[in-house]
Amino acid sequence: MSNEHTVKSYEEELQFLKDSLIKMGSLTESQLSDAMDAVIKVDKDSIDKIIKSDEEINKFRSKIDTQIMNLLVKRAPMAIDLRETISSLKISQDLERIGDLSKSNAKKVKPLPLDLPDELLGNLKRLGELVMKQLNDVLDSYVNKNFDKAKEVWEKDEQVDDLTYIAMESVIDFLSKDKKNLDFSTHLIFATKNLERAGDHITNIAETVCYLVKGEYLKGSRPKGKVIQE
Amino acid sequence: MSNVKIKSKNLNVYYGDKQALFDVNLDLNEKEVTALIGPSGCGKSTFIRCINRMNDVIDICKVTGNIEMDGININDKDLDVVSLRERVGMVFQKPNPFPKSIYDNISYGPKIHGKGETKSELDQIVENSLKKSALWEEVKDRLDEPGTSLSGGQQQRLCIARAISVNPEVILMDEPCSALDPIATAKIEELIDELKKTYTIVIVTHSMAQAVRVSQKTGFFHLGKLIEVGKTEKIFKNPDNKMTQDYITGRFG
Repeated sequence: MSNEHTVKSYEEELQFLKDSLIKMGSLTESQLSDAMDAVIKVDKDSIDKIIKSDEEINKFRSKIDTQIMNLLVKRAPMAIDLRETISSLKISQDLERIGDLSKSNAKKVKPLPLDLPDELLGNLKRLGELVMKQLNDVLDSYVNKNFDKAKEVWEKDEQVDDLTYIAMESVIDFLSKDKKNLDFSTHLIFATKNLERAGDHITNIAETVCYLVKGEYLKGSRPKGKVIQE
Repeated sequence: MSNVKIKSKNLNVYYGDKQALFDVNLDLNEKEVTALIGPSGCGKSTFIRCINRMNDVIDICKVTGNIEMDGININDKDLDVVSLRERVGMVFQKPNPFPKSIYDNISYGPKIHGKGETKSELDQIVENSLKKSALWEEVKDRLDEPGTSLSGGQQQRLCIARAISVNPEVILMDEPCSALDPIATAKIEELIDELKKTYTIVIVTHSMAQAVRVSQKTGFFHLGKLIEVGKTEKIFKNPDNKMTQDYITGRFG
């Protein structure tokens, strides 16, 4: 018994949808990484490029929306195909939101002074790296339909929360030393919070991948770090 | 949990040398709609024809194993097949009204089963059956016109009214909408929703979307075997069996 649809164009449409989502995912990854680099290096020249790439991500989102509408109307997908279609809709929404948060982070680079101390940025950098790893892993779990890997990402969001808390503390410490730091420190706090929220969207994607693979939602509420608990 | 109305255990059907059903174990719940799906020739129709012993009319057909309704063996040689078919009505793929008036189409069954002794009793049965099949308003002023003068969808509802007229417990529907347009189909589906409050319904359909819409339980047949049976929602969102998934997603050649 073959695994291909009897209707070839249906097969192609589903594959096209998956391809679009993977491309959108990799674009979101580069944008997140570029935005993070821009903050850490206080690289004001890259801001425009990052904002531009967000437009690309948004275009993907509407393209995927159209593909999904067409699939629903033409094919009335069932079982795995239905889950694939609905999951694409959800994942593309989360990716788009991650894109927005990266754009927001890029914009925060503008008011930052060029000589930010390393101890201030160290924790933020670690948080950024963790969030990027999480995004990379969750996209891998989507491509390989790997339930265990998606669940691992879901569980690891706890670390994102904890690191957010630590990064926030170092900014607040710095801020309390000198009120002059108030203006740009606020931007760093927002940038940290944005990363934490990107982490939440990654967790959503992990949940969606679990549903896609097994057809049932993860049970219980996800592990939460200190920031959320307090 | 609903009561089991019909229970088959290791049911096998042979047409001469050819085996059409293999050890089918399937429970049909009372006052529920069970949909049977599967490619042509997979045994779905053969299965429902076991429920009202329609296979009796085929000389070379042999049935082994068990099939029970309310705990009574349907295959019992001494069972009165006419009264079985009074309890188990059937509606076919193509509407097949008798070449008689609308009124006579409905009153024929009750008359031969000795129900409705008087004209007024029969009038009442005809009216009730047509109301239950959602056809009364459309035909009440022309009951003496031939049943065949109705549209396809109306004819099918007439056949449902005819099945209902003898007050059965189970209604078997073998692709009841395959010859109907979308509106007529929607009316039959609406009707099935209503009828399941009173009757146990089994529907054979080639439309996945229809199975999802009308049934609570779905069974998937392939090459005479019942591959998977379960809650309709589960079967169409996340079936356990790969063959079921391949069939409902159109990956089946």
